[in-house]
Amino acid sequence: MNFFVIVVIVLIFLSLGSALVGMLKGGKEGSDKMFKSLRTRTALSVFLFIALMFAGYMGWIEPNNIVTSG
Amino acid sequence: MSNEKYYVPHGTYWPIIGSIGITTLFVGFANQMHDVSWGWPVMLLGLTIIMFMLFGWFGTVVNESVTGTYNSQVDKSFRWGMSWFIFSEVMFFAAFFGALLYARTLSVPWLAGGDNNMFTPELWEGFKAVWPLVNTPGEVGQNGTVFSSNFKLVDAWGLPAINTGLLLTSGVTITYAHHALRAGHRNALIAWMLATIALGVVFLGLQITEYGHAYHDGLKLTSGIYGSTFYLLTGFHGFHVTVGAIMLTVILYRIQKGHFNAENHFAFEGVAWYWHFVDVVWVGLFIFVYWL
Repeated sequence: MNFFVIVVIVLIFLSLGSALVGMLKGGKEGSDKMFKSLRTRTALSVFLFIALMFAGYMGWIEPNNIVTSG
Repeated sequence: MSNEKYYVPHGTYWPIIGSIGITTLFVGFANQMHDVSWGWPVMLLGLTIIMFMLFGWFGTVVNESVTGTYNSQVDKSFRWGMSWFIFSEVMFFAAFFGALLYARTLSVPWLAGGDNNMFTPELWEGFKAVWPLVNTPGEVGQNGTVFSSNFKLVDAWGLPAINTGLLLTSGVTITYAHHALRAGHRNALIAWMLATIALGVVFLGLQITEYGHAYHDGLKLTSGIYGSTFYLLTGFHGFHVTVGAIMLTVILYRIQKGHFNAENHFAFEGVAWYWHFVDVVWVGLFIFVYWL
């Protein structure tokens, strides 16, 4: 699960980076590239959140707050 | 490259006003930390000066833009300027995530005698090298600092999960706003922008509520390395959401004034990218602070 999360996070950062390149480029072509990249990053983020919640619900991962003191 | 004359602003006084505002703010803040009675009023005065500077400077730049002072070369400079600002922001958060990584995966195992065995296997009776490091000594340190012990952690399924849903939804709404701007749908653009700002404000409200719960349960800045990194990361992120929401409001105002069109809307693009970045940082926080 950790590997999956890291891969999706890397893809999200690549999308953000691609959007930055589009913004830097400017013009019609750059604007298109920026919009499409940001749309991809939004979809990936929502997908990751849903996957994380599902994995937590199924008990595949456990949140940090379950560590007991003492 | 354009051969047009490059616009250079003359005689602007906003930078010195900003400097005076920031100095006043921090003089007030430092004195407030020492319980000096005039600390808070001076802080508020500094904040007022900064707000005055922001309104004035934004107004000047907007006026320069709409009066056609900027050419394509200035546009390019703005894009590079925004990119370097973004780079500094990425490095800013990389440092804090790095601190979390260092504390979790290196320093805590070292304290238990791992790796180089420099430290004693047991720092104090009952010490457990786990993350989150919930057991910290409840003693008064040399400088009078009281460390908390046995605090309760924030439940990842509660407000943090709701807040993540809210912020991700704001990422969707700003994407729709972006689409509406490019398609020339003005009313839809305004509606999606309002939704994005509202989601950001609700996020901040819930974040404050979460801090209230966490403080009530004993999780404070002084609660060892977990408390420090928790508040440092989430606090600075909250500050960035605040700045982003302010910038989105300014952009909304400019949209209503008709400053942008489908082809020319760099200010919107810059703020939209910033908002997406703040969104991604939160996803990282939600995963690495609350879950993994």
